[in-house]
Amino acid sequence: MAIVLKITPTRFRASDSKLDSQRRYIRKVSSGEDLRFVNGQNMDVSGGGLRYVQPTGTAVDDGVYDGSFIGTTGTRIKV
Amino acid sequence: MSGFTASSSRIRVVETIGSVDETVFDTDDDMPHIVGTTYLASVAVDFDNLTQTVSYVGDSCIATESLERVNVYNPSVWSAFFVWTPSSYDWYYDTYTAGFMSFDRTYTPGFMSHEWEWVYDPCGYTIPYFEYSVDAEEYSSVTNIADLPTDEDGTALDVDFVIVQATGIRTTGGKDARFDQSLPTTVPTKTFSFQGSLLLESSGEASGGSWFRRIMSVYPSGSKLKLKVQESVKSLSRGAYDSAFPHIGETRSTYSFNLKVFFGKFRQ
Repeated sequence: MAIVLKITPTRFRASDSKLDSQRRYIRKVSSGEDLRFVNGQNMDVSGGGLRYVQPTGTAVDDGVYDGSFIGTTGTRIKV
Repeated sequence: MSGFTASSSRIRVVETIGSVDETVFDTDDDMPHIVGTTYLASVAVDFDNLTQTVSYVGDSCIATESLERVNVYNPSVWSAFFVWTPSSYDWYYDTYTAGFMSFDRTYTPGFMSHEWEWVYDPCGYTIPYFEYSVDAEEYSSVTNIADLPTDEDGTALDVDFVIVQATGIRTTGGKDARFDQSLPTTVPTKTFSFQGSLLLESSGEASGGSWFRRIMSVYPSGSKLKLKVQESVKSLSRGAYDSAFPHIGETRSTYSFNLKVFFGKFRQ
């Protein structure tokens, strides 16, 4: 039988355990992130070279890239 | 301490690990959720053949040797010599004349003569020589491949993130213009996920520097999901004269992708 809601001193489960305190859920935070979600183009090519924009927004070029792509900073995610 | 709290509009679950309380779930945080999923089959990506240009570099000398009648000047010459006059005796007058040496010279004037000889010319004639180079190119195309999920009123949702799960195959393996071998591709043979952009192909010069890149990007913009395909080519010289890039006409690559796109938001 599906668990609708079950609360014990050490565990919380709801909606057939779709929500379970023993799992790790991700959420958007303003700081202290564990990872970032990229939501747009994060590479560009120009002059035969490549720019990769890290989720932090830092651009990494291959030494050949001659464009001006900026990219976007990824969304901060906490696990 | 692990716990669950529910108050007015907030639900919060905390898990204590060691002595640290970690938030498992908190409706005051922006919680991600998927607002739509789209399946896109056989999304085509097509990169054309590269092109090359031949440029005049200069002329090279060809040595020749020919039999020619040439003028030869024979310079004037003075010839000097001694002349010995022998002694003589005149019987009639009974006189004797002793022999003696005298000095004389002759002059031969200069003159022209003609003769045949082989004449070497290090640059008897010239032929032009050329160098080939791959044309520099910046190619970009953007197409709409899907509509973003909409709300009840049909207004496109402002999605916060897109996760693409993909399978793909290279249906035409383009070759490096210089070599009889396909460009290496980074598309894995199995299902993979990405956000944003994906490097498809690249190639480097002998020095190691990049001269060729092909990428694709999938991202939301406005009310559409966009596919952006880009190619960047730096002009590459052949490095030898009168030698074209042998595989320039085989550099086209094509891909076919099956995309499962998850559209997500952090708040309604």
